[in-house]
Amino acid sequence: MSMNPIRLVPGSGMVRGMALTLRRFFEPKATIRYPEVRADIPPKFRGRLQLLYDEYGTLKCETCFQCAQACPIECIDMGGMDTKGRFHVHWGAAETYGERREESALRRSGRTVPDPAYDHFEGVDVGAVDDILEGFDHDPAHLLAILEATQAHYGYLPVGALKRISQVTGTWYAQIYGTASFYGHLRFEPPALLEQAAAMAARRPAEQAFLAGLGASLSGGGGDDA
Amino acid sequence: MTAVSRAWGRLTLPGRIVFTLVPLLAVLGAGLVALIVLFGGTAADLILANLGFVRFLAAATIILVITIPIAFLNIYLEMKVIALMNLRVGPDRVGPWGSLLSVVHGLKVLIKEDFTPTAADPIVFTWAPVVTYAAAVMTLLVLPFAPGLYGQDFNIGLLYFFAVGGMGVVGLLMGGWSSFNKYSLLGGLRSAAQIVSYEIPLTLSVVGLLILAGTMSLNQIVQQQSGWFTDWFVFRQPLGFVIFFIAATAEANRTPFDLTEADSEIVAGFATEYSGMRFGFFFFAEYVNVFILSALAAVLFLGGWNAPFPFPALSIPLYPGSLGIPLLFLIALVPIIGTLALAAPFYLARSSMRWWVALIIGFVLFNVVAGGLTFAWAYVSFDWVAGLVWFMAKTFGFVFVFVWMRGTLPRVRIDQLMGFAWKWLLPAALLNLFVTAAAVVIVGS
Repeated sequence: MSMNPIRLVPGSGMVRGMALTLRRFFEPKATIRYPEVRADIPPKFRGRLQLLYDEYGTLKCETCFQCAQACPIECIDMGGMDTKGRFHVHWGAAETYGERREESALRRSGRTVPDPAYDHFEGVDVGAVDDILEGFDHDPAHLLAILEATQAHYGYLPVGALKRISQVTGTWYAQIYGTASFYGHLRFEPPALLEQAAAMAARRPAEQAFLAGLGASLSGGGGDDA
Repeated sequence: MTAVSRAWGRLTLPGRIVFTLVPLLAVLGAGLVALIVLFGGTAADLILANLGFVRFLAAATIILVITIPIAFLNIYLEMKVIALMNLRVGPDRVGPWGSLLSVVHGLKVLIKEDFTPTAADPIVFTWAPVVTYAAAVMTLLVLPFAPGLYGQDFNIGLLYFFAVGGMGVVGLLMGGWSSFNKYSLLGGLRSAAQIVSYEIPLTLSVVGLLILAGTMSLNQIVQQQSGWFTDWFVFRQPLGFVIFFIAATAEANRTPFDLTEADSEIVAGFATEYSGMRFGFFFFAEYVNVFILSALAAVLFLGGWNAPFPFPALSIPLYPGSLGIPLLFLIALVPIIGTLALAAPFYLARSSMRWWVALIIGFVLFNVVAGGLTFAWAYVSFDWVAGLVWFMAKTFGFVFVFVWMRGTLPRVRIDQLMGFAWKWLLPAALLNLFVTAAAVVIVGS
């Protein structure tokens, strides 16, 4: 790291800044005078997403989700309700729509997002959380103890329970999530899934032995391509 | 009657305007000529008898009116120069290169609602912009624009300048106090603290120059700097010039010292509750202030209206009256011949050019050439034209530097601002003063 000695002079930054702006003053400009000059756009650019209507004023969109599946950067997303609860197809970035906002928060928190098309978000009964909180006097200072008690009750930390804690104690959800994710013994997935995975892993040697036996009995050469 | 109304109905809108305006102008012109013929002698006598009063009226009117183009030009420069420094194009829609956008801004401000908060002190609130604006305008009175082109040649011109210019802060304080808004009050108090603090180094930085010049008349200070550019006071008072420039930046509330209207801290400072033309007056005053301080820097340190080198005295023996009747032919023919001569090369060089396009190009070129020649003749023949050109060039050079600084430097903190004024600028100004005084005594003895 060699430093230009001129930079050590107090006030030289001002002079260099002034020189920079003066250089910019004479450089070609980045502005495109839009109506007269059109920008050079990539040939596959399609502009703003917009739903088309037919001549009767009916939405042409059939909600087939093919566009959402085809979108390489997942910027297309769909929802079925507008803000007043009426059925309406809309699309756009997930953050734009009310029912997608929670999902979006989940996605940013790094956890799996329930897919509403196949897997409805199951709420949990938060009455137990209320009892636990009652025991801790609704004091977020005992957050770790609260979380441990919650996990002891549910077997894991459901999102609904965490939200209930946030709602009742006034602690930020992000803080609760941060606390929960800090400790290794707290988990966000139901332990059933973990046990299932362990069971699957335990079955794997038997499976391989079976396949090897099968391959040997079929060809005698080896079980590589079984 | 029907024929007249039918003819009127066939006219386009420009036609109607012309047909209304031409007779009106003819009648007005005839009336004016008659008035001059009838009462011209008496009026001239009256003016000559009260020359001082008439001069005062004319100067007051001119300095009031001249602030408008000055402020518009400064606002345009600010928008355009900062845009170019941001790699943007800036205003380019209204007028040539967007130069009329500031006029549009002025009109927009005029037609906006003039709002007064309920709890405001209406009298003080209304008069605050007036005070600020008046302080800015009244300093123009002593600025020497060119030889013979100044409002008044005071022997205490510089003192008057600082005294009246310092009154602007009263307006800011009035606006800040009467708005009944904490941001306004903070902005007003900040401006008071800042301007009072910087007034001291600003004035002290000039005292060394006053010792050298021996006069406070801005006119005489400029005359002492005539000759080569090495005679300018900036080379004899370099430290004073630097201090003056920094303090002037703070006086004009310009970045990096625009604490009074720091939008990221106190919304818009003293101007938070202002809208419409009152707000416009504050900003008019601000831009006029920039011009005035630039002009003062040019007058005090860069020789004012003096050219940087002694211009060889030329005189063009141009007596058009001596030509007699041929002058009329000249006046009638030169534009036509000039236009045709300048259009011909374009028409002949490109076969695709229509004749009328070539004529338009020729006409525009002729106007440019004729305007340039007229300007050159005026520059050589009249002292005040040459003086005004140099004065404006230097002044707008300073305005450009102010805008340039605004495009570059971030705002300082309020404690840095005050500390800089009292711990650095004031001792430096005192040092400058003592060194200058000592040098004068040593050289003089």
